Amino acid sequence: MVLEATMICIDNSEWMRNGDYSPSRFQAQSDAVNLICGAKTQSNPENTVGVLTMAGKGVRVLVTPTSDLGKILACMHGLEIGGEMNLAAGIQVAQLALKHRQNKKQQQRIIVFVGSPIKHEKKLLEMIGRKLKKNSVALDIVNFGEEDDGKTEKLEALLAAVNNNDTSHIVHVPPGPNVLSDVLISTPIFTGDGEGASGFVAASAAAAAGGASGFDFGVDPNLDPELALALRVSMEEERARQEAAAKKAAEEAAKQEKGGEQPSSSQDATMTERATTPASGADNKATDLMDDENALLQQALAMSMDDPASSHDVRDTDMSEAAAVDPELALAQDSTKDSSNPADMSKLLADQSFVSSILASLPGVDPNDPSVKDLLASMQSQSETDKKKNEDKEPKEEDK
Amino acid sequence: MSAESASAIPRSQVDLLDFIDWSGVECLNQSTSHSLANALKQGYREDEGLNLESDADEQLLIYIPFNQVVKLHSIAIKGPEEEGPKTVKLFSNKEHMGFSNVNDFPPSDTIVLSPDNLTGKPVLLKYVKFQNVRSLTIFIEDNQSGSDVTKVQKICLYGTTVETTDMKGLKKIEDGH
Repeated sequence: MVLEATMICIDNSEWMRNGDYSPSRFQAQSDAVNLICGAKTQSNPENTVGVLTMAGKGVRVLVTPTSDLGKILACMHGLEIGGEMNLAAGIQVAQLALKHRQNKKQQQRIIVFVGSPIKHEKKLLEMIGRKLKKNSVALDIVNFGEEDDGKTEKLEALLAAVNNNDTSHIVHVPPGPNVLSDVLISTPIFTGDGEGASGFVAASAAAAAGGASGFDFGVDPNLDPELALALRVSMEEERARQEAAAKKAAEEAAKQEKGGEQPSSSQDATMTERATTPASGADNKATDLMDDENALLQQALAMSMDDPASSHDVRDTDMSEAAAVDPELALAQDSTKDSSNPADMSKLLADQSFVSSILASLPGVDPNDPSVKDLLASMQSQSETDKKKNEDKEPKEEDK
Repeated sequence: MSAESASAIPRSQVDLLDFIDWSGVECLNQSTSHSLANALKQGYREDEGLNLESDADEQLLIYIPFNQVVKLHSIAIKGPEEEGPKTVKLFSNKEHMGFSNVNDFPPSDTIVLSPDNLTGKPVLLKYVKFQNVRSLTIFIEDNQSGSDVTKVQKICLYGTTVETTDMKGLKKIEDGH
């Protein structure tokens, strides 16, 4: 949860037309940028991200560091490919933009995507690197696209000049079927952000995995949507279980989760809410949203058919919290889909590890906070009273 | 301008260490293993082995905010003969300077240290320029030998506070002349 101001330098030179990364280098780069912006803003709400392009007519700052994710994503539209990338100028302009950030307490970071050959000398890059280090600016380099002789060497030299205590990283992504964003997710560029971001990222990876460009399951979602959906759901369930096991050590908190789970699924209104909240999906793929909505809709139907009464009990909390945690909640829904029994729902809540995994991915919630721990303790006792309430209600209904 | 050293600190001047606002202290281009605390903090600065060292090149930019307004009288900088600082520029009340704009403003005072000064003798400053100091920026431009690493063992600031006076601190500090 480091407080950081980031400038992302995009390569929009002619070399980006190449299709060796699907669908094209530029598209893959854009997706990766969107993902990074989302991860950064989620890991700490005060983080700011800015974007600039390095090619075209010249280095151009598209948006100065801001925490408004919508603004950042909007400026990515309508970007044109052309010209030659000017790496040195791009980094220097990024450094300048960071220097004039509003909150001086933020750490400075530059993430640069290098997809075309570098025309600068190694010495120049080293000098730039040293200047960055001197001003305590960290640098992340994504090396993809053209494999120019000397390019890797130059970038490694740049990294060595900048690197101060391992705060800077370089990632080489060779061309191939693997999606650029997915490769980046597992690198320190994302995981260096800490738990909050990695939770978000894992969830969006789950969403992205079933996307149109993937066909991970060998089944075309267009031809057989139900099968694809079922496969995806079971994969996400498995992932959620693994995540819960991994994060078992985290503390729990209460109200936010408890209510959050139910309302987001059982309401049509929240689906539109989901569509609009940027936090719910790092990717703009409409297909993914549709799949998620379908899953939620089916979940809602299943639950409403089983026991409308009990779903009311746990519905009483903030929907905004729910929206923020949506991808994880979708997983929660799916895992409880089979046993859509009210008693199981409270069991799920009582399942500390699951709740803690939800919590860990919530931005702004520190599981170690004592007040959060207290809430959880009260939630535990409350879930038990819920169980009792359910049991009371069922005999009552039978009486009717 | 060569530095005048004071033979003794006048009675009213105290060590301003207690008035430093540690949460805002920053140092650019310091090496992570040899950080500013080694030169400023009470126990560390007395230790000969612990130095503040520069990282990428020989310049250092230190920003010290105070928790109240002070008057700065003199400064004592101790460092090794070879890699100790030589030209030191002081800026009062300039927030968040960077290496790029450090030459844009005239410094409140500039001192050129000789190896004699580096033994820790306090150097008198232009007192009139430091009457109303909220924060101090110390820019170490180069070092004695011109090497790539500048080492500073101790930085001591002497002066008085404007609003309050710390009675305990009022004692004569002799330098043994």
